[in-house]
Amino acid sequence: MPGVYGVLLLLAFVIGSALSVIYVKHESRVLFSELRNVQKKQDQEIIEWGQLQLQNSTLATHSNVESHARKTLKMKLPKTIQLVRLP
Amino acid sequence: MNETKGQPVFFGGRHYLVLFVLLCLMTGLVGRALYLQIVEKEFLASQGGQRQIRTIETPAYRGAILDRYGTPLAISTPVDSVWVNPSEILQNLPALKKVTQQLSMNYSETVDTLKRKANKEFVYLKRQIEPELASRASDNVDGVYIQREYHRYYPAGEVVGHLVGFTDIDDNGIEGLEKVYDNWLKAEAGARRVIRNRKGAVIEEINQVKAAQSGKDIYSSIDMRLQYIAYRSLARAINYHAAKSGSAVLLDARTGEVLAMVNQPSYNPNQAKQKTSGNRRNRALTDVFEPGSTIKPFTFAAAIDKGLYNQKSIIDTSPGWYTVSGHPIKDYRNYGPLDLAGILRKSSNVGASRIALSMKDEELWRSFSDYGFGKPPGVIFPGESSGYFRHFSDWQKLDHAIMGYGYGVSVSITQLARAYAMIANQGQHVDVSLIRKEPGIKVENQVERHVMSSKTAKMVLEMMEEVVGPKGTAQLAAIAGYRIGGKTGTTKKSTVGGYDEDNYFSVFAGVAPISDPRLVMAVIVDEPTQNGYYGGKVAAPVFQEVMSNALRILDVKPDDIPSLRAQIADAEKGA
Repeated sequence: MPGVYGVLLLLAFVIGSALSVIYVKHESRVLFSELRNVQKKQDQEIIEWGQLQLQNSTLATHSNVESHARKTLKMKLPKTIQLVRLP
Repeated sequence: MNETKGQPVFFGGRHYLVLFVLLCLMTGLVGRALYLQIVEKEFLASQGGQRQIRTIETPAYRGAILDRYGTPLAISTPVDSVWVNPSEILQNLPALKKVTQQLSMNYSETVDTLKRKANKEFVYLKRQIEPELASRASDNVDGVYIQREYHRYYPAGEVVGHLVGFTDIDDNGIEGLEKVYDNWLKAEAGARRVIRNRKGAVIEEINQVKAAQSGKDIYSSIDMRLQYIAYRSLARAINYHAAKSGSAVLLDARTGEVLAMVNQPSYNPNQAKQKTSGNRRNRALTDVFEPGSTIKPFTFAAAIDKGLYNQKSIIDTSPGWYTVSGHPIKDYRNYGPLDLAGILRKSSNVGASRIALSMKDEELWRSFSDYGFGKPPGVIFPGESSGYFRHFSDWQKLDHAIMGYGYGVSVSITQLARAYAMIANQGQHVDVSLIRKEPGIKVENQVERHVMSSKTAKMVLEMMEEVVGPKGTAQLAAIAGYRIGGKTGTTKKSTVGGYDEDNYFSVFAGVAPISDPRLVMAVIVDEPTQNGYYGGKVAAPVFQEVMSNALRILDVKPDDIPSLRAQIADAEKGA
């Protein structure tokens, strides 16, 4: 009876699609949790970037750089007389 | 269905009975399922949702304010606050002990505090700490939670405090650029609906309710290197002369961009305590003063532009004073006959007022209006002042005369700098801006708007050079290797009903280098009380220090090599 085979075939399809739904759902959850992890990492990177920027600008404050140059490195501006003009 | 009750039991009947019972059960199940699926569906779904679906916030950051090269002036970084539910955590004291150790807090004190607040559900343990530290402390401890917050940092502190301003606790800009560009900088947190599992972890995102909108960055026109030098020089001068306050503005003469704008006293926007209204004011834009002699170049420009005078014109200023409507107009001493450059060099009030009176009041008013007096600098800033400049129809003859040397009119230091920038920019109008202008765009779109002819501008510029020269009032503004032009001003402060004889504004405004002006700077010191009070003694040295550094840093080519050579030769002879 071809009808029975037809129904059986449809049944197989239905079961197959049901299983694939389960599989895809699982896959999407796995991917989603991966996405969450990456987002968390991104968040941490942003935090770190902000802190590095802050640290950088604190350490490179012009007054810091100047006092370091003058005191530690004993640098000074050349006087006019010390200037040499290249031709 | 067959009737089976009371009948003798036989095999077939039993079969049907079982079938019937099963069918009943089946119908019941299907009915129940249909009932739940169709009738109660909404109620159940919403109940389920309430247990699983959460709307969570997607964080967004307020934009940063940067200097013209990208050095941060204001940035937001995330911080975490750790909070606990006392009733929960007090049942797990060993865990609390570990948490307090990690947050370097006193354990017994914390327990005491929490016990006092045991009826509350939300108590901060520690606010605004590094996120890493917070997450380490709260990791896997029940009853300890984290709340994300943002802290706005101003790395440059008081050096740009007035310009950048600050935000309130809710991240709304309430002062300075933070306020002006609040809409641009503002971040809007997004919202997402997610499904959480039993443990509270997000397992699926349903949809995005609102996209997170991070704020956009702003590149200001400030050059932090120059800003710092200007800040340091001005602060030093204010201190040395024991002055009340002061401001300085450095402009790019070609584009009108503000490269540095500093004020004293200042405040650190990172520290709430220092934010008193007096310190907070960006005096360079909000405070006005009578420009005094610094206005003379404009009196000249107006008269020269109308063809009334040229470089060769001689004006007799003897005997050093005269009266207008019964009021004396005096010079420091009798300078005799002077050409225009001489009047500027000696800063003769008699000469300048005569030149002012040679024009109709309307003509003078119109020219000065074109130069931007009485008009706001247009940088868009809270409290920006447009100065005080009366319409000529309200002028008496005396007003007309003293206008020529800068009394009866008031300007902010930024307005004065803008006016000098117009002279430096070949007489063309200059738009002052606190925001970096994109190079290149200007050249195409810029319509030449002359407020004075380029010939006049050049003539006035060369006269101003003599002020800084060996016979001028501003020798301290001279910079070796460069041709510098400028004008000093020493104005008595006006008080109720007249002028205060002992309190002065010391002003200097100048341009460099003369042959191809790149930079314009104006400096004002309010009430210098020690070590002199003349503009040439107090304000000019600030100009000199900042401008010489600016020319070096911006790599502006010296336009006066011979003087540099001569100076080197002199020094070698002396050595």
